[in-house]
Amino acid sequence: MTQADWTRFVKGIAFVFLALPMCGCSSYVTRIVSYSLQRMTEPIQPPAHRVLSPILPNTNLAVLWVGHAAMLIQIHDKVFMTDPSFTKTIGLIVRRAVEPGLDPSSLSSVDYTLISHLHFDHFSYGSLDLLPKNGKLLIPSGGAAYTPELGFAETRELKPWEVLEENGVRITAVPVQHFGGRYGFDIQWNAGRGYTGWVVEYKGKTVFVAGDTGYHPEYFKEIGRRFSVDVAIVPIAPVGTRESGSRVHVSPKEAVQILEDVNAKIMIPMHHRTFFQGVETAPTFAQDLLKRILEEKKIHARVKILDIGEQWIE
Amino acid sequence: MIIVLAPTARSQTQEASLSDRVFTWLQFQAIPSITILSSTSATQTGFEWEATPLLYSFGMTRLVSPWKSFIVEPPARFTGSIEFVVSGQILTEKVGNSYFGGSAQLLGHIPLIERGEHLGLTVGIGSYSFSQSTPFFKVVGISTLFGFLHFNLKQSASPKLWVGSIEFRFF
Repeated sequence: MTQADWTRFVKGIAFVFLALPMCGCSSYVTRIVSYSLQRMTEPIQPPAHRVLSPILPNTNLAVLWVGHAAMLIQIHDKVFMTDPSFTKTIGLIVRRAVEPGLDPSSLSSVDYTLISHLHFDHFSYGSLDLLPKNGKLLIPSGGAAYTPELGFAETRELKPWEVLEENGVRITAVPVQHFGGRYGFDIQWNAGRGYTGWVVEYKGKTVFVAGDTGYHPEYFKEIGRRFSVDVAIVPIAPVGTRESGSRVHVSPKEAVQILEDVNAKIMIPMHHRTFFQGVETAPTFAQDLLKRILEEKKIHARVKILDIGEQWIE
Repeated sequence: MIIVLAPTARSQTQEASLSDRVFTWLQFQAIPSITILSSTSATQTGFEWEATPLLYSFGMTRLVSPWKSFIVEPPARFTGSIEFVVSGQILTEKVGNSYFGGSAQLLGHIPLIERGEHLGLTVGIGSYSFSQSTPFFKVVGISTLFGFLHFNLKQSASPKLWVGSIEFRFF
């Protein structure tokens, strides 16, 4: 081959290498990746809080925002972790902007680890490896094909409305509106499954974890009819530059509507500020928008906006 | 492909039909890998399409069968597996009297970082068929980018041949 042939060949490979991974991505994903690449050298900020002993000896209900969708929930003597995320990147490229608000080595035991869906920011193999393995890992129906043997005492798949009940703990997988797959190309492959919300009940306390979801009034009203929710943990981003949500992500306004639909006493927002997402004009865009809505609706008392690492105790 | 991949919210009950799933698999199987064949006399390039008649995964949860045939979700491969792969090749120039080749390979995939999703090692053996010749190859390579991208190097002692491949493995 001549030098010109080699040049053409190398250019062709470079094109395929770059184009193939991106062709399965929406403009939203492309924007997140490019924004994150621009911030490769920016330092990761420390969290506003870091609780050294997150498991409390005597508490009815406590919720600690670890960052993004990772919440440490304690109901009396049981500990639940949702969508753990401790790694510096998600999906190889998207960088963390703020360090996790919890050191996983400070956890001696997690009874149940709940995975809402299979996307990198919610189902992080590296983060799951850092958790204690004495408890159970619960994944949505259709998730097993994406689940390595991680060493948990048991791994269970739950279908929408399926219940796991044992030792006084009742965990229900509840329907939400999102999309399946993990890698982009498998959205169609795993369509209609692989995502869920969770309702956790123990000793008279009920926590609803929405995972990642678009607004679906029938689902949320049904959850409100079936459960008496004390705390609803609901995403508020990504919302982009607009104020309305999308089919797969709720806006702060829709998050507040979910609070009303499930009739929760308290809402704790999540899924914002943690990674360099670049879809909002500022990292606090969704949170500021939420604050404005709370002022308009005069429902400040029902929404606890936590900082990363902050623990809310009932 | 982009239309198929556009994120679509579905209710929990609207699962993909078998035909949707098979069509998705076929689309991605059609994407070729790139092969560079180097002998003492010439260097050639070509395209290669792989399929997996059988794979045994030892890295996945026990909720799923460790045995896979043709349809292999990426984690089943990159979390640790032994894979029997067959491939067909089209070369840009003739080897002997044919543009076409084929191979059968037995590969072991060993996870290195993030259960193999970020980085994995591949080792194995294989036999290629070019024209009248069926050389025996040793295979070594790495995989990255969620197991999609494999860089493999295959070497045959007799006849002296090198095959380098950039493989795109989706299923």
